[in-house]
Amino acid sequence: MTLNGIDVTDFLTAMLATGLLRAVPLAIASLGDVFAQKAGLLNLGIEGMMLSGCFFGFHAAYKTESVVLGMLGGIAGGLAMALLFGFLTIHLRVDQVLVGLAITIFAAGLTGYLFRDWYGGQNVAANVRARSIEIPLLSDIPIIGPAIFHRQIIFYICWALVPVFAWLLYRTRFGLNVRAVGESPFAADAAGVNVIRTRYLAIGLAGVMAGFAGAFLAVADLRIFTIGMTVGQGFIALAITMLGGWNPWRIAAGAILFGMLNALGDSLQIVGVGIRTEFIGMLPYIGIMLALVVLAGKTQLPASLGVPYARGQR
Amino acid sequence: MANDALTPRPPLPDGRGGEPRVEMLGISKRFGPVLANDNVDLTLWPGEIHAVLGENGAGKTTLMNVLSGMYQPDDGQILLDGQPAVIKTPIDALEQGIGTVYQHFTLVPNLSVIENVVLGTKTGFRLDLGNAERQLQTMLADFALNTTPQTEVRHLSIGQRQRIEIIKVLFRGTRVLLLDEPTSVLTPVEVEGLFAILRRLREQGVAVVIITHKLDEALDLSDRITVLRQGRKVGVLDPETLAASDRETSRLRIVELMFGGRPSSEGSDVASGSAAPGETLLTLSAISADGDRGAPAVKNLSLDLHRGEVFGIAGVDGNGQKELGEVIAGQRRSTSGSLAIDGRTLTNQGVSAISRAGIGYVTDDRLGEGSVPGQSVAENAVLKTIGLAPFSRKFWLNRKAIERHAEALIEQFDVRTPSASTQLTLLSGGNIQKLLLARELAMKPKVLVCNKPTYGLDIRTAQFVLKTLREQANDGNAVLLISSELDELLDVSDRLGVMYNGELVAIFERGEFDVETIGQLMLTGRRATGVAA
Amino acid sequence: MTERARLSGMSLTPLVSSLVAILMAFVIGGIFLEATGKDALEAYRILIDRGLLSNTGLTETLKKMAPLLIASSGLLVALRAGVWNIGIDGQFMVGALFSAVTGAALVGDVPDPVMWIAAFAAGFIGGVAWALIPALLRVRFGLNEIITTLMMNYVALNVTAWLVKGPAKDPKIVAPQTRQIPLEHRLPKIPGSDVHIGLLVGLVCIILVAILFRSTVPGFMLDVIGRNRRAAVHAGIPVATLMVVALLVSGGFAGMAGANDVFGVQGLFKGNWNPGYGFTAFALVYLARLNSLLIVPFAFFFSFLLVGGDSMARRADVPTYFIELLEGLMLLCFAVAVYLERRWSQRTARAASSDPATTSLAVAGESE
Repeated sequence: MTLNGIDVTDFLTAMLATGLLRAVPLAIASLGDVFAQKAGLLNLGIEGMMLSGCFFGFHAAYKTESVVLGMLGGIAGGLAMALLFGFLTIHLRVDQVLVGLAITIFAAGLTGYLFRDWYGGQNVAANVRARSIEIPLLSDIPIIGPAIFHRQIIFYICWALVPVFAWLLYRTRFGLNVRAVGESPFAADAAGVNVIRTRYLAIGLAGVMAGFAGAFLAVADLRIFTIGMTVGQGFIALAITMLGGWNPWRIAAGAILFGMLNALGDSLQIVGVGIRTEFIGMLPYIGIMLALVVLAGKTQLPASLGVPYARGQR
Repeated sequence: MANDALTPRPPLPDGRGGEPRVEMLGISKRFGPVLANDNVDLTLWPGEIHAVLGENGAGKTTLMNVLSGMYQPDDGQILLDGQPAVIKTPIDALEQGIGTVYQHFTLVPNLSVIENVVLGTKTGFRLDLGNAERQLQTMLADFALNTTPQTEVRHLSIGQRQRIEIIKVLFRGTRVLLLDEPTSVLTPVEVEGLFAILRRLREQGVAVVIITHKLDEALDLSDRITVLRQGRKVGVLDPETLAASDRETSRLRIVELMFGGRPSSEGSDVASGSAAPGETLLTLSAISADGDRGAPAVKNLSLDLHRGEVFGIAGVDGNGQKELGEVIAGQRRSTSGSLAIDGRTLTNQGVSAISRAGIGYVTDDRLGEGSVPGQSVAENAVLKTIGLAPFSRKFWLNRKAIERHAEALIEQFDVRTPSASTQLTLLSGGNIQKLLLARELAMKPKVLVCNKPTYGLDIRTAQFVLKTLREQANDGNAVLLISSELDELLDVSDRLGVMYNGELVAIFERGEFDVETIGQLMLTGRRATGVAA
Repeated sequence: MTERARLSGMSLTPLVSSLVAILMAFVIGGIFLEATGKDALEAYRILIDRGLLSNTGLTETLKKMAPLLIASSGLLVALRAGVWNIGIDGQFMVGALFSAVTGAALVGDVPDPVMWIAAFAAGFIGGVAWALIPALLRVRFGLNEIITTLMMNYVALNVTAWLVKGPAKDPKIVAPQTRQIPLEHRLPKIPGSDVHIGLLVGLVCIILVAILFRSTVPGFMLDVIGRNRRAAVHAGIPVATLMVVALLVSGGFAGMAGANDVFGVQGLFKGNWNPGYGFTAFALVYLARLNSLLIVPFAFFFSFLLVGGDSMARRADVPTYFIELLEGLMLLCFAVAVYLERRWSQRTARAASSDPATTSLAVAGESE
């Protein structure tokens, strides 16, 4: 089937396949940031955590030629930044915006420096191959078959995290505590919840997921690191978290939407439609602002987002 | 009067426990110079509703906070079931069976009822709500709550939330239930519902304590009434006394305990009270306004302020006085009615228009709203007038003029500060208050609204503030003085209105001031029926 | 306290915190250099030598100060009023493009000074236009400016890249860039130096902002809003309007910084040209404790870091990203210093009366 000389099937397959791939880091980082935001932490360091995940994930994968170790390296990179963020904002109660931006700047400098120093700034690829599996029969369905049912294992793992995180948020004591401390830390404290510990766990989880998202980008997807490669995807993830109303399912849907926006340019080029890449490039950012406008007043930010907690300072 | 303190153990009605559940012995608690509780005893029996009555600042809440683990007493002992107990935190109290329902609820609005109930309880990682849900269903039915466990708390009314709050502490095995001003946020129907629940809990052997300043409620509901005044326990009405005397006698007895023995206001050096009222400066016609939480706070209130008078507003905190002040100052929108200054209607015209028309407002929140703590005394002195000559011309500040002005105010009002350029945070509360008052007076307001201007001040400074207000009226202006200190209102006011539940329930002329009637109005919103009717 | 009092040594603690933070960052950065096999002392020596002590280095440092000064003056206006303008980069790029196009249209046809003024005005307008969108979103929909200004940075990157490929492109050249302003039409040098007058523009900007806060009614009101928004409402100050104005003004200044770089350094606007002054300005305004005149030495310091960092890369094999790393470290150390300072002042002074949790600006503002 062709339209104006474009093979529609190819186009849709490419679009769906790329879109879902681009959606993964957004979804993963957003899922983690749900916990940070719900616990009252406005995590502007997420961009830095993700970038840190990209670099340390890539580095581990390059050195070990193992996808798994690469992902673990990314997680460690994200977590380290998150603990720094946690220490400064939760423990020392310094302004979250200031610390978040500091983390992002620091991570940009750190990863840029190390990459230049260790790799000479060359675009070298990590010699890893994330194993793919092909699900019989389903992968034969046109369009969605190749796009969904013939993917890397890690791709499936990522999407499987959506229900896991939904469960974690709504069906566990940890999730309940998180939802309480971001809304009314005083009430949570009065009920016997350890606010400080809950916030640390939440930001830790957010860091792990941001690092994981970065590693996915650099290791599983592209297999290379480029300086500043996240180009605001962490911030987008932060916004998707808000737009999705802190609901893992809606966040996954939002991530897919923005992944598709991201993929639109690539897909159009694959099928040979000339469209300015800049237009496509800015779509996600404009999309975020439009979505914020549409949802303005409809979502309620966690009441204590951005506010440090100290006992007895109501 | 102060010594029916040691109550003998009462005879036990059917089905009620024998031993006291809680004994607080000789509790003292000091905050800086203030002795909030002075050697207070309190005994709570199972199956009994115990009211703790007192004015604002009488020490009721402090006493309850000691029992609920919020504060540690400086002196005294707490026995639980006869055993000495240490209560370090509210959680500690809860685990020992003492549950508190605060005035500001501690529910998380975006969590469901059941999530709020199980929040903080120690069970496994996975939330197993099945058991809790069955238990909760029964309790919801018991409490006549027409809601499911899955409803988010933010969708519930205030009255419903309060019941959830009670369920939440009962769910954790509370046997002593403390309620801090439980009816202050409720409608009359909700109050009835609450009382029914509390009576039921009494039947189940719970020791219920309500902290209140509403006399009628205490009489309606409780088996025993303890009266606090200025941090000390001044009397207990035990069940026998309450049963033996009729309601009116008990009422008069309590009013006497709370307000009796005050010096007469006549002949005070501050008061002067001009004879003939001057022309009207401020007219409020049927003004209504909502409070911060959206509930009506000022209801259909009408009032004229005249040249040369100090009009006092008495009332227990939270009866709409603050909101009234903010409406007059233009800081809070009125929902209906009108406001006129000197005959010009200026309803909802905003702070600057109202301020230009000659209204000054001294807020009760000196640091949070009245001033900018990080700025200098001089800068704070011109916060509201910065756009006017001589402090600025066009866009340009005149720092010299600002400094001179501040120095003049400092001199005139005896504000103790190293210099006009000292940061405001380094001043004491009294000096900040003098500065805020000076700031308003410098604008030469025709009408000055003051909310609790003497709160937290030492006596000398308080006297100075009141004298200043009096002079302001004597100079031909009007002053609206909102205060929870009845004594100072009696001293300084030419007329005195009582606010209760958002309404101005009575206005007294100077000379008609009767402490006990005013006290009754503050507590119940109406006059003693026994005398009047 | 008046700014004069702030500077006159009455409260040196805030400055001490910043200096300690910087020192700590250098120490940690040095350890980091050693850990990655560099000679930290040698690297720092080159940094200082080339950024500060050599003639060319000093000239470059003074040149680089200009955009930092201009952008920081604007950012200061926003931050003092409690407005988070994180969109400096985007406003910079749009301003730069506007001014480059204006310059290309006017060059040779009008006297140079007229062109320069027009170009700076165009830069200002470009920056304001870019800040206008977050401002409108804030006023109309109540959207917080943090996320919107951030997003606008990435939009700007794409929009400007597209414009220099299309409508704004110099048709005679293949590369996507605006028409180059010939050297003789660029900003003139300050007599007796190799530094163009952009530095003076920057100093003028800072002085204007210092005057704004020291001597004008709007500046006074912005400060009140930033320090205690409720008090501003209580005093009848038009809070919403002034906050929007602060955002727009800071956008305008960022745009002028763009004009400065076009007419002082680059001569044209290229696609994807983003020097990333935003974060540097953010760091330096914070380290200067939101104090206008302190921005001058801090801008000099950061500019020296950027310039010396380039030499470090060439001569000591230390990647330029080390400077960004150092900036991040400084902010992180600064966060710790602010905490220690707060502890210290709580311990020494009477019980602190302001709630540390209220406004974000309080972190820096209260201690000025």
